[in-house]
Amino acid sequence: MNLLEYEAKLILKRHNIPTPNGSVVRRDSAAPTVPVVLKSQVPTGGRGKLGGIRIVTDQDEVISETISLLSHTIKDFTPQVILAEELLNIKKEFYLSILINRSEAKIQLVAHPQGGVEVEDNDTESFLTIDLDDTSPLVAGEQLAELYDLPEQTFALQDLVKNLLDCFVKNDATLIEINPLVLTAEDTLTAGDCKMTLDTAAAFRHPEWEFEEKSVETNFVSLDSEGTVATIANGAGLAMATVDAVADAGMRPANFLDIGGGANSDSVLAAFRRIMEYPKVQAIVINIFAGITRCDEVSKAIIIAQQQLPNLPPLYIRLAGTNYDEAKIILDEAGISLLPTLRQCLESAKQEVRHG
Amino acid sequence: MDNALLAGKNVIVQGITGSQGSFHTRAMVAAGTNIVAGTSPNKAGQNFEGIPVYQSIADLQQDFRVDASVIFVPAAFAKGAILEAINAKVPLIVCITEGVPIHDMLYVKQQTEKSSSRLIGPNSPGVLLPGVNKLGIVPASMGLPGTVGIVSRSGTLTYEAMAGLTERGIGQKYVIGIGGDPIRGTGFIDCLRLFNEDPEVDQILMIGEIGGTDEQQAARYIKESVSKPVYGYIAGHHAPEGVQLGHAGAILGSENESAGAKTALMKESGIITATSIVELVSLVK
Repeated sequence: MNLLEYEAKLILKRHNIPTPNGSVVRRDSAAPTVPVVLKSQVPTGGRGKLGGIRIVTDQDEVISETISLLSHTIKDFTPQVILAEELLNIKKEFYLSILINRSEAKIQLVAHPQGGVEVEDNDTESFLTIDLDDTSPLVAGEQLAELYDLPEQTFALQDLVKNLLDCFVKNDATLIEINPLVLTAEDTLTAGDCKMTLDTAAAFRHPEWEFEEKSVETNFVSLDSEGTVATIANGAGLAMATVDAVADAGMRPANFLDIGGGANSDSVLAAFRRIMEYPKVQAIVINIFAGITRCDEVSKAIIIAQQQLPNLPPLYIRLAGTNYDEAKIILDEAGISLLPTLRQCLESAKQEVRHG
Repeated sequence: MDNALLAGKNVIVQGITGSQGSFHTRAMVAAGTNIVAGTSPNKAGQNFEGIPVYQSIADLQQDFRVDASVIFVPAAFAKGAILEAINAKVPLIVCITEGVPIHDMLYVKQQTEKSSSRLIGPNSPGVLLPGVNKLGIVPASMGLPGTVGIVSRSGTLTYEAMAGLTERGIGQKYVIGIGGDPIRGTGFIDCLRLFNEDPEVDQILMIGEIGGTDEQQAARYIKESVSKPVYGYIAGHHAPEGVQLGHAGAILGSENESAGAKTALMKESGIITATSIVELVSLVK
């Protein structure tokens, strides 16, 4: 779950990581005092170049600028709120993040002496990486002071690392990126911007998690609004493989859909409704290999969908695994035929798409 | 990891009385797995269809030697369950549980590495040695005893590959799902080493996904150390960048985590690659 900047900064603040003074502004809020930086709260990067950040120095323009930002769409996102922050006197900017290195199973700090940089995979060599499992926050703080050439900030950077690590662990974060980390003209360090990703799997131990942007849907992903073949599968791997197989067979997959292990009639019906939104879909490939999922549950849902959605494109269904025999009986009775393999589903779908 | 570890006969189930645990314990028993006991904190002293239920692994070790444990507890308790099995020195731990927090796995992984136990999972369908042993939820009826080794990050694709081979009359010696989470116990390389060293295995199937760099490391290992034919497929050739597809591990962070980049490196490393699961199954001889 990716947090908005202001949500991330509230969490930083709670862990004594310095952030600029600021407040959240909505359509009906009182105007903040100038000079002020208005920052559009959208769940995407690069908003600065797209007009999502405005510096306002004239008090008379604060309200109109706020309203203009609130209706300004950035990469398909319209902000619900604006973050109004004090204008910082920036002396220098740096890059600092804390993340989990998947392959080494370690928590790492990643730093760069230049703020605003992007971590590109081909350019990680210019970044300093510190394993926090092997290095104490005190030593890591000293290393940062050296990298940033800020020996006078050594204690502040040691505190920052200690608090950042604490914040990272206690909030079940998988990424906290402070970019830029700002050194002000008053020689204080503060988080200019912050990106934070929390692990939704840990939500059970975070009753306090209530964020503006609810967790992004991961099970239905749109791929091609002009796609001709829709896909339904269970398990992320099989769902991806089904999309790949459709494309491999020379057709355009419209979507990725993993109905997951707990598939029931409601969720499958909702999936069919989503698919109906794609105007060019001429065939639906359903590929279920049931382990935890039960084939009979899926087949019942398919029958209900056919009854409720009369304009459903033809279905090419392949079921295998748990409770297959029961499913076959249910579908036979409803006059819905099954195909034995994914390959045959694709061949039949191709005929339909060609002739359709 | 060797064949004896995966073929271990005395198997226990942690979380045996839960809905997943009980459903799949029945399926394992039906497949011939020798489940000697189970744990369930509040049901100690009872039995599940004739299998005795204990409070803890330490308790049941008074009565049984344990070769392997299969874990079905809810995600919030998976860390505790794995650590309990590590402390009890269970040689093989297979964690089926999905949705374990990544910080829990960081700790578990560090503890596992210091221990004598081997962990498979979490978020894994487990291990099937067709005709020999079933530890987890891989549908045994789709397997066929034989000489292929399958290793996969995705549960359903594991089944798909196995069933596809069986349909063609090609049997498998090992079917291992290492799990779809970003941090896991056993990885590709552990399985590839097992397949390469077991003289009964003649061909290897490796199924990866977008996200992370494990497949790249596996490809390098194959180039340097594996002498048997390896067939590979990476799911997610048409995945959009930065969007999580289903489970936690499958997110395309940067270009070198893409299916195309992984496939290219696998090809360079001497792996025979496919662009779909259908093609992959058809490649095996």
